[in-house]
Amino acid sequence: MGERPRRGSGTRLLSVGIALVMGWTLVGYRLTVVQGARAEEFAARGLDQRLQHRTLPADRGTIFDRDGRELAVSVESVSVYANPLEMPDPARVASLLSPLVGRDPSDLLADFTDGSAFVYVARQMDPADAAPIRDADLPGVYFLAEPKRVYPTGALAAHVVGFVREDDNVGLEGLELQYDEALTGRPGELLVERDPAGRVIPQGEYQVVPAEPGSDLVLTVKTEIQYAAEGALRQALERTGARSGTVVVLDPETGEVLAMVTLPSYDPNDRDGVDEDAVRTRAVTDVFEPGSTQKLVTISAALEAGLVAPSTMFAIPSEIQIQDTVFTDSTIHDSTLSVADIVANSSNLGTILVGDLLGARLLHTFMTAFGEGSVTGIDFPGESAGSLRPPEDWCPTTCLAGTSIGYHVAVTPIQMAAVYGAIANDGVWVRPHLVREIVDGSGVRTPQQAEERRVVSQTTAVEMREMLARVVEQGTGSLAAVPGYRVGGKTGTTEIYLATAQEYSSDQVVASFIGMAPIADPKVVVVVVLDSPVEYASGGQGAAPVFSAVMLAALNQLGVPPDAR
Amino acid sequence: MVARTPQVALPVPRRRAFHVVIDPGARRPRVGNWIALAMTVAMAFFLLISSRVALDRSAFVLEDIERDIAAQEARYWGLRLQVAELQAPGRIAELAAQMGMVYPAELHVLEVPGLGEPGPGVEERWADLKALLGAQP
Repeated sequence: MGERPRRGSGTRLLSVGIALVMGWTLVGYRLTVVQGARAEEFAARGLDQRLQHRTLPADRGTIFDRDGRELAVSVESVSVYANPLEMPDPARVASLLSPLVGRDPSDLLADFTDGSAFVYVARQMDPADAAPIRDADLPGVYFLAEPKRVYPTGALAAHVVGFVREDDNVGLEGLELQYDEALTGRPGELLVERDPAGRVIPQGEYQVVPAEPGSDLVLTVKTEIQYAAEGALRQALERTGARSGTVVVLDPETGEVLAMVTLPSYDPNDRDGVDEDAVRTRAVTDVFEPGSTQKLVTISAALEAGLVAPSTMFAIPSEIQIQDTVFTDSTIHDSTLSVADIVANSSNLGTILVGDLLGARLLHTFMTAFGEGSVTGIDFPGESAGSLRPPEDWCPTTCLAGTSIGYHVAVTPIQMAAVYGAIANDGVWVRPHLVREIVDGSGVRTPQQAEERRVVSQTTAVEMREMLARVVEQGTGSLAAVPGYRVGGKTGTTEIYLATAQEYSSDQVVASFIGMAPIADPKVVVVVVLDSPVEYASGGQGAAPVFSAVMLAALNQLGVPPDAR
Repeated sequence: MVARTPQVALPVPRRRAFHVVIDPGARRPRVGNWIALAMTVAMAFFLLISSRVALDRSAFVLEDIERDIAAQEARYWGLRLQVAELQAPGRIAELAAQMGMVYPAELHVLEVPGLGEPGPGVEERWADLKALLGAQP
């Protein structure tokens, strides 16, 4: 006799059945919702979690000197950052990271405990230095590849090249700022599908808009000449005790700046604690009264206007008094001087007489033609136009006399380089420039054109050059002589105007020398300006020797053959 | 007159005994087709999987190559930086000074007679060259 089914088991079976049916119904419902009704939404959410948008940084262009040597390059670096919220023990992480990144552990811990989910631990580390941190595998510590701007020649040409902001490589100074847009390029975009471990899913979504690399700059600067100029200027600062100094080396035919030095300088790789004054590119931004170096403009104008010839004789008085101002000469000379002698002896009185022949309006016209009172247009940020008042504003007393000998006018060293460049280039003024060509990412070269204009005739320029040669051979610029070459130039010693006291300083001067070589067909123009030298405080004593050293180095580096005797 | 059917019983046709005969020859090919189909599907499936795996593997290889390229590029720029640092005039001058090299205290300029003077024109020089070549045996 079989066992009778117990009562209640049917009910239980029914319950289980109902539960299963309900369960499966719910599963089915959910399945329908997930795979049907809201399928697209869930698919999009899933894809969104897997997809990763990334901006591909464009490589910043390299800056080369004229011979293709790197002056600024971008290299890969690693930045270490942390998410302190993922750290079980921030104090331990801080103490472990401290020696690896060279930061104080308490400093790190303070960063980790300020409630932020993103903290930079170290920026732009060398990948080799970052490797031990990676190996330590610390919780909440991550790595980011970042390009880093490096200046392999250090302080050399620092003012020319400038520097970028560390965070985002945006140009802040110099050519890095001037050509920031060209150097930066255009960032690309990457859309990629990754698995939870961060690996790229093969056959997954992959879209890439490649970054356009920034253009390279090929400068006009020649590293060797820049180095020689810096060395000579540094020695001069030590010898004279000058506060600062500037040297500009220019190719007068093309307007290419071969070197541009400002001291004191700085290392763009390590700008911590750098004085703001050291960052200023004085060759372009700072003005000075040109003093006797301005006589080239006055005499050239008179020659060009046909008012004088190099042999025209002038009776030079012992002094010229205009109201309270007495003009004198600092050199002893004959009472009668030719125009060439006036230049050779740097006679203030003779030049004032020549300036008087010209008159304010004509002198102003030539000064403007030579580019004084306006920016040269050099491709460099922050250029000063100097100061040249219109002749209507000139005082009727000392202004014409003062301007003739380089007072009442303010110029920059680069302006004066262009002025002397015009005489060196047979009377044609050429805009100075620092970039020779721009090479874009695909290798297309765009040479930079420099505009030019005739200022004086070739005859005037040749006559002026002969007079400048006499300054070195017989006059005040004897220390500017360069062995093997015939050079010409002009000394300048200008008392510094003290704005607060509203008078000229009795002991502070700007000593300068500007010249060119070889004088028959000049290939190089050099400007030397020393600010407030204590010893050798004159253009002939302080600046001329620097000119000689720089000019010799430049001529040798450019392969200019010595003059045949 | 009425037509009558004859009273003779007509012979009733005997029901034939039908039975199913399974022809093994006819049945076997049909199963074979199914097996072939199943195998083809399976093969296609495995082919698909293996090609997918191969593609994935290639994708990983490509990713590795790309990573290598990036690493080599970084190394290249590192080396260029190193070369630039080695070429820096300041470094070379320092090394030269350590080696006892000094700038010359005085400079001698050698003058070669005739150098720099205007020479004969191209035509004349060409004529000289032709004459010289003509004199050769």
